[in-house]
Amino acid sequence: MIKVVGGFFVLMVMIAAGTVYSLKETTERLETHKAQLATRILEDRAAIKVLHAEMAYLSQPERLQKLSQRFLALRPATSFQMADNVTSLSSREDDAVRLASAPVDQFPVLLPQEKPVFKAEKYRNAVTLAAYPATEEAPKVAQKEQVSKKTTRRMGFYERISLKLEDEK
Amino acid sequence: MRSVDLHIEGATSGAIEVARNRLVVPTFFFVLGFSILVIRLISIGMFEPMSDINTYTRVGTTELVRDRVDILDRNGIVMATNLKAPSLAVRPRLITAPEETADRILRVLPDLNRVRLLNKLKSSNHFVYIKRNLTPQQVWKINALGYPGLVLEEAEKRVYPQGSLASHVLGYVDLDNKPQAGIEKFANDHLSDPERSNDPLQLSIDLRVQHIMRQELAYAMDKFSALGGAGIVMDVNTGEVLAMTSLPDFDGNGAISPGAPEMKNRNILEPYEMGSGFKAFTVAMALDTGRISLDDKFDATEPLRVAGRTINDDHPKKRPLTVPEIFTFSSNIGASLMVRELGTDIQRDFLQKIGMFDKAEIELTGLSRPILPSRWGEIQSMTVSYGHGIAVTPLHLVTGIAAIVNGGRLIPATLIRKNESQEYADYDLKDLPGYRKYPQVISTETSVKMRHLMRLAVDYGSGGNARVDGYRVGGKTGTAEKVKNGVYSRKDKITSFTGVFPMDDPKYVIFVMLDEPRGIEETFYKATGGWVAAPVVGQVIRRIGPLLGVSPKAHVETKYQNLVLVKNNE
Repeated sequence: MIKVVGGFFVLMVMIAAGTVYSLKETTERLETHKAQLATRILEDRAAIKVLHAEMAYLSQPERLQKLSQRFLALRPATSFQMADNVTSLSSREDDAVRLASAPVDQFPVLLPQEKPVFKAEKYRNAVTLAAYPATEEAPKVAQKEQVSKKTTRRMGFYERISLKLEDEK
Repeated sequence: MRSVDLHIEGATSGAIEVARNRLVVPTFFFVLGFSILVIRLISIGMFEPMSDINTYTRVGTTELVRDRVDILDRNGIVMATNLKAPSLAVRPRLITAPEETADRILRVLPDLNRVRLLNKLKSSNHFVYIKRNLTPQQVWKINALGYPGLVLEEAEKRVYPQGSLASHVLGYVDLDNKPQAGIEKFANDHLSDPERSNDPLQLSIDLRVQHIMRQELAYAMDKFSALGGAGIVMDVNTGEVLAMTSLPDFDGNGAISPGAPEMKNRNILEPYEMGSGFKAFTVAMALDTGRISLDDKFDATEPLRVAGRTINDDHPKKRPLTVPEIFTFSSNIGASLMVRELGTDIQRDFLQKIGMFDKAEIELTGLSRPILPSRWGEIQSMTVSYGHGIAVTPLHLVTGIAAIVNGGRLIPATLIRKNESQEYADYDLKDLPGYRKYPQVISTETSVKMRHLMRLAVDYGSGGNARVDGYRVGGKTGTAEKVKNGVYSRKDKITSFTGVFPMDDPKYVIFVMLDEPRGIEETFYKATGGWVAAPVVGQVIRRIGPLLGVSPKAHVETKYQNLVLVKNNE
């Protein structure tokens, strides 16, 4: 009987020891894997850093401004495009605007009204277009190009040649 | 149960006995061996420490590129970063065919000199550097060549993606990544700490505003053939500097010659006589004492003669002027008379209180002290009242003007972004502790009066060119003659304009200064602050106002305009 119990305990000790050992082995393998992952994360972060630098370089305000003036029909925002409440969005006179406030959310709603006569305000009419000539011309040039493309398709060979010669002059 | 006992006897039984005895020996060794294994197994499981985990857990906190920490602008855009840029070196003894190797290297790095490269490849040294700071693409190509003699040595390079946009704020580093100027040098403890490589330094600079300021300043410099220019945009309520430009500037990525004129940050390095900009301090001081009120008149009919000198007005009105008129029409005589009435001590104390006697505060190195009059007599006191005989840096003036319009608190300028809770504590929640941590230099009432006066100076006075549709701009021009060879030069001037907007609740102070501008036909050959610097400020406000989300308001006539009797038609 003692032999059986003793043998059983010896077996249990051996199994337990084996389990602990294999657990340790697995843990270490996982640690190694984690270390590899961490290294890769660091490498990726270094790569992201390069990309951030590249992005900052490509989005230099001066470069963006040049590109925008060349390719976009956009102008810098002006003060008259800014508004801090609904009433200042409308150019109607104050008494011509009726604000109804919904009881639920207290959100002021602009009620539809008869179309008012536009009355330019002193601070809204002067927009400095002259300061950004390129942005002014870009849409016109684009429009012209579009028109010429459409019409040239319908034109005959000689007409197209003469038009091109004219353009080059 | 029946058991059968088998007995083998005789010679066979002896042989079995021998075999059994012999078996005992290997069994003993087997048992011994296995028990050692078991004991070792248990000891490994119980007592052996695991291999060093510390190295793994620490990895996450540092970076591969970690010599210097990044610098970001207030919106998180990279202003300065470190990139891996290995250096190419060679071990000449491992090179077998120098000519062929040189040709291959030249294909990757075409800007190298072939003769010099060959000399390096053939030299008798162990190790020779060929080129510093290769790009990732070049590194890849060099590796692809596959020469064992070529060595890529790990190195890092400081890169400024914005080029020269904010070069004076950032400063620069030398070839060994040692900081030499700017915030790189001031904040070096943070920037060079490898433990904080994950914690970038966020500046208060807004790159968009910085770009606008630099562009407009460069335009004006070109237009008026000025030697240089300086510009600051500062938040009056927090002291955060949104833009700081000094032209000409440099590119931190390129070769740098430390003594060159473009290395000079005019905003902090050189004190200038600021001219009429100082009248804002004089008037604020006068109103704050309570001894002079807005209705008081001072006689500016005749030029003032004091101690053998004559004080003239640039725009003489030849009549008694009220205090708002003195400020609006920039009367030197009026300002002098105000100071004479108050006395020298009050003026000196006030200027000291508002920080004109010490270095200005900002996170940059190389700040210079103001140049004060050597003795403070009556005549000196009077010239100081309109900004002559005292020289301060632009940063002094901007910090002072901000204090005058923001409710009277002197908030030192900063280049580090303040977080929102700090901003709240500074100006939104006045009950919070720490609200009064900045010294109150003038009363809030005086500050409100000064806002109106500065608005008047733009509406009716010399700063009219700074007017912007939709935004209420206030400000004060300043024109001072430069001292050349000990005498004031009539021709060479320092012109400046300090603008504040929106005037009903000041948010930003914008300062522009031009060094020796020349008048052009458009300005009737005048090169005063009102003609040269004020339009720049106006243009900057026109562009940054919508960008910073300042809501426009309809034009409202200014208070106290009844005190300005005659409209200035200049």
